[in-house]
Amino acid sequence: MAANIVVLMKQVPDNTKLRVDSALTAMPAPGGPSPVDMMMNPFDEYALETALRLKDSWGGDTTVTALSLGHDSVKALLKKAIAAGADAAFIVGETAPLDGFQRATVLAKAVQTLVPDAVLVLGGHSSLDEAGHQTAAMTAEALGWPSLSGVKLAEGDTSSLTVSRVGDGGLEQHRMTLPGVLATIKCDYELRTSNIKGVMKANKTDIPVKSLADIGVTLPSATTTLIQLSPRPAKAAGQVITADGNEDAAIDAVVAYLKAQKFA
Amino acid sequence: MTIWIVAEALSPKSVFTTIEALTPAQTLASQSGSALCGVVLADSEAAGRTVADALAVHGFAQVIVGVSPRLATYQPQVYAAALAKLIESRQPKVVLVAATSTGSDYAPRVAYKTSAGLITQAQNLAWDNGALTATKAGVAESLIMSMHSAAGKTVIVTVRPKTFEAPAANAVAASVEIVNLSLDSVASGTEFVSVTAEAATRIKLEEADVVVSGGRGLQAPENFALVEQLAEALGGAVGATRAVVDAGWRPHSEQVGQTGKTVSPKLYVALGISGAIQHLVGMRTSRTLVAINRDADAPLMKQADVAVVGDALTLVPKLIAKLKG
Ligand SMILES: Cc1cc2nc3c(=O)[nH]c(=O)nc-3n(C[C@H](O)[C@H](O)[C@H](O)COP(=O)(O)OP(=O)(O)OC[C@H]3O[C@@H](n4cnc5c(N)ncnc54)[C@H](O)[C@@H]3O)c2cc1C
Ligand SMILES: Nc1ncnc2c1ncn2[C@@H]1O[C@H](COP(=O)(O)O)[C@@H](O)[C@H]1O
Repeated sequence: MAANIVVLMKQVPDNTKLRVDSALTAMPAPGGPSPVDMMMNPFDEYALETALRLKDSWGGDTTVTALSLGHDSVKALLKKAIAAGADAAFIVGETAPLDGFQRATVLAKAVQTLVPDAVLVLGGHSSLDEAGHQTAAMTAEALGWPSLSGVKLAEGDTSSLTVSRVGDGGLEQHRMTLPGVLATIKCDYELRTSNIKGVMKANKTDIPVKSLADIGVTLPSATTTLIQLSPRPAKAAGQVITADGNEDAAIDAVVAYLKAQKFA
Repeated sequence: MTIWIVAEALSPKSVFTTIEALTPAQTLASQSGSALCGVVLADSEAAGRTVADALAVHGFAQVIVGVSPRLATYQPQVYAAALAKLIESRQPKVVLVAATSTGSDYAPRVAYKTSAGLITQAQNLAWDNGALTATKAGVAESLIMSMHSAAGKTVIVTVRPKTFEAPAANAVAASVEIVNLSLDSVASGTEFVSVTAEAATRIKLEEADVVVSGGRGLQAPENFALVEQLAEALGGAVGATRAVVDAGWRPHSEQVGQTGKTVSPKLYVALGISGAIQHLVGMRTSRTLVAINRDADAPLMKQADVAVVGDALTLVPKLIAKLKG
């Protein structure tokens, strides 16, 4: 049976390139013009890898489809996903800032219309820019499917998976009936890199950009709005103790500080 | 207008966080003349009453206990349905949920189900013309986002453990209302199989008041004995950077940062850690930071309240000896 896995992929500001004083006053639309470099949300790389590993184990005509909601310049990122092993990709072109409720509504509809035979949707546990911790679970609710977040490992067949997730009391095992949604954190396995064949396939693959009308969705009104984005207040300079040759005096000073702060 | 703070009986961590959340909730309630109410989701009346009692010790005067045997193990759809039913029947204005692994998992489903707003991992809460606003860290904790909830709608807000200081114990006789939830028709799609407790460290990293972390500057895995001893001397937990986790020196459960755990202790001690942004984002909200590094210009040293320039392998044994005094 043909099974299709959808991977939700979001482009986010590369925070290693972002200075605290950078002029980021609005959240860049995923993939849109931005004063900072953009990169794939790190957890989504694990979502993709988890999908590819399931495809390897399911075999047959399993396909992996990457799906991104945002600006169409997100294409470069989706090409990378195809080079790494995904079979197809779609962009839902919408650059207005959306809240979690709107985003889940759109993504669920995109899955239903663009990948109707999807049995599994994988996303990241949280996105680096908005730290939403919500899109995957909300999309699952919109689809009426089960979901689990904090996922480190998923194995099984096209009808049910055994899922390991980091829970409050340790590593939990759950069984999930498909179709369902999983949100991955950093997994223990390596990410695969693309090869020449993959890059050639990516170059040849067309990535359609769909509008909200194409997928038949009208945006619900927002339930929350980002009204301001501001730099974190700078921390006051601390005390610098140079230990060179004065190790004991340095340690005395540290201990005095710990005592003053009641840590020792 | 009512403000709820929700705990799950199966997650003790959510109960602590619920008590911490009472601090901002009390301010919100007094500013708006709202009633404040604890909500407990439990698989039995007895389990729910135990949590209600723990909440009453900290001043929760009113507690609703939603009971269903289907809440015995964690199933996201069942938990979401339970809270959604309570919200739909009583329409609270604000619902605070602990941003634990469990709460963060089902709160988004509840928000979608009830068409409520959702603000996750909130830090400062305030009213703005009858709507709730909250700040939260964005772009990997580099920036602060101010979020505004739509007026006239319920808003669900998740708060991370240790974001707020729990109020002092102030025992009250709570009025406890038991609500039997009928969840029989709720499809689940997931079945809880088992849980493997994390290697029994003395103190959990995310819950510790003191965290002592080591990085590549410790030179070799065996030198982590120093990190462990210092953590023990300070009554704290051990953390690590991804560099040493990837090198196999330490387990992933100890990794602090973007792809590891987020900690917010009162004291963070960093030994031989450069302070890459991906590490910083996991510990930036620590109240005080002491760093030991050979390089005075390492980024983490610039953030430190006390930055000791020197060799960790020489300094840490002296520090441990002095603390054990
Ligand atoms: C997508 C992504 C996600 C990541 N997630 C994380 C994460 O979650 N957590 C994380 O920690 N990292 C993460 N990283 C890695 C991060 O970028 C850094 O590589 C890592 O934090 C560096 O670890 P370190 O400080 O131990 O090592 P280094 O950067 O090598 O620093 C070692 C420090 O030790 C000092 N030193 C050396 N010898 C001594 C001595 N004898 N005494 C005292 N000081 C000494 C050096 O001056 C130096 O500052 C991530 C990276 C990426 C790309
Ligand atoms: N605009 C988007 N397009 C595609 N996937 C998204 C988008 N926004 C969020 N996601 C997915 O949801 C995950 C968690 O995001 P969030 O919950 O919004 O922080 C991301 O890692 C993605 O997998």
